[in-house]
Amino acid sequence: MRRFLLGRIAGLVPVIIVAIVVTFAAVRALPGDPVSVMLSDHSADLDMAARLRAEYGLDRPLTVQFVQYLGEIVTGRFGLSFRYVHMPVAQVLRDSLAISPLLALSALSVALVIGSLAGVQAAIHRNRPQDTAIILALVAGLSIPNFAVATFLVYLLSVKLNALPVAGWGTFRQAVLPVLVLAIPASAYVARLARTFMLEVLQQDFVRTARAKGLREGLVIWRHAFRNTVPPLATSAGVMLGGLLSNTVVVETIFNIPGLGRLAVDSVFARDYPVAMAVVLLFVLFYAGISLLVDLVLALADPRIREGLEVTA
Amino acid sequence: MNPRFLRRLLAERSGAVGVAIVLAVALLALLAPLLAPHSYDATDLLNAWAPPDAVNPLGTDKLGRDIASRLIYGARVSLAVSLSVLAITMLVGVTAGLIAGYLGGRVDAVVMRIVDIVLAFPEVVLAILVAAVLGPGILTVIVALSLVWWPGIARLTRSLVLAQKQELYIDAAIACGTRAPAILRRHILPNIAGALLVRASVGVGFIIMAEATLSFLGLGVQEPVPSWGGMIRDGLPELRSDPILAVSGSVVIGVTIIGFNLLGDGLRDALDPRLRRR
Repeated sequence: MRRFLLGRIAGLVPVIIVAIVVTFAAVRALPGDPVSVMLSDHSADLDMAARLRAEYGLDRPLTVQFVQYLGEIVTGRFGLSFRYVHMPVAQVLRDSLAISPLLALSALSVALVIGSLAGVQAAIHRNRPQDTAIILALVAGLSIPNFAVATFLVYLLSVKLNALPVAGWGTFRQAVLPVLVLAIPASAYVARLARTFMLEVLQQDFVRTARAKGLREGLVIWRHAFRNTVPPLATSAGVMLGGLLSNTVVVETIFNIPGLGRLAVDSVFARDYPVAMAVVLLFVLFYAGISLLVDLVLALADPRIREGLEVTA
Repeated sequence: MNPRFLRRLLAERSGAVGVAIVLAVALLALLAPLLAPHSYDATDLLNAWAPPDAVNPLGTDKLGRDIASRLIYGARVSLAVSLSVLAITMLVGVTAGLIAGYLGGRVDAVVMRIVDIVLAFPEVVLAILVAAVLGPGILTVIVALSLVWWPGIARLTRSLVLAQKQELYIDAAIACGTRAPAILRRHILPNIAGALLVRASVGVGFIIMAEATLSFLGLGVQEPVPSWGGMIRDGLPELRSDPILAVSGSVVIGVTIIGFNLLGDGLRDALDPRLRRR
């Protein structure tokens, strides 16, 4: 098990190295001088320019700057922001840090419940109108971009019915629409998987046995059949969490939520590249962490996986 | 195109609907100057946010531009960007996959390593990175999406090549003294073209969605060029007073992507009935 874990971590190292080098190079390769932007009105003040250049380490050779950048990442400070002069990036990020993962996790929980229910219903009523209706909803849920879905929902629920706030962050009512918008495509994805797994499980002998001994249909479906679809669904949940996390960028923009994603987009427009790159790096680390966690859970649940990977690796 | 294949594609209702929607969007894009009632960037500030009437069938936006015309030209932008991305990613991805799969060994290991690393970057995040370096614009969208999409195609091509390599006809071609490039082009490529075509048609839907997402975030297509994502972005704050802009943009983009997805599913079923899910 330890060898499996070390192997997976070693596999992530190149990804993280590439991410660090690319984010470093991106900020340095940009046209324009960040210090002259920071000076704005004081552009003639050479003294202040030199001081800022020294504070941001921009007067050093690139190799030294890179080593400093590594140090900033390890200490979690991520360097200094261009937009908020003198302020460490970590401080700019601090208030936003928890919002995106919170949104993604809430949407995932909603999607797992709605998706399982819909998928199981579709499988039970295979090829009947209920199944067709659910499949049509799935195609729509997976095809329509989340900002288009958000437009419909905001128009219907907030503008026409006045049931929920249009945007903002902080209260439960403000969180309902963003989580719903994030959860819709994810639910469709879960439902499609749940339907496929259920159709397979329902063919099994033990389901027939359960029916033959006279169990109520609800017990057969949920306690015997559905239970066997939980492990594959749980593994797909890890993959989905990654996708949900990057979708939060869009949802945060739509609903004016001060999360990491909106901060990254705002920072690109404000030319605050250290902040944008720190968010890029954090998202890559989140992604890597999630995939590591999924592999770990899979390996704990199924010895064949860790054996198999040890043989091929 | 093989008429029997076409009949099979149109026989299934969803496939036929997909073909109809895609044809309609393609016609809108091709004939935009003929179909659009107005120019997409003709502003008329005195007539901003006008309700629908005989002159402006869907009303006007904040600069008094005709929404219907901008939707029609938006099809052109959306398809042009998506098809460029598709062409680039197919060229790069298929070439990389063919070479990695056929040569194997160290070349394969290097290509697949690169693929794994690129796939570890979430697409929106990669787009933010590219937008930071290149600045927002059409080029950013094309570069960012091409970067994101080629690894998946390379992976698919490689697995298809690996399956073909086991076949006897490849051994026969090698025994005849055929060189590797000719084997790849003349023997392997035609045999995997069907699967790649399905992938491409499903891919267009996703690329259109990704393009619209980036334009919606403001990282993509810039004013005054119309893009569906950008129109929804403009319309969203005015949803309470003037919902037509955001809602019509959302409808058009939703229908288009559903169309491409149905076409992709239809192609998959028509090319290989064994793959039918239901």
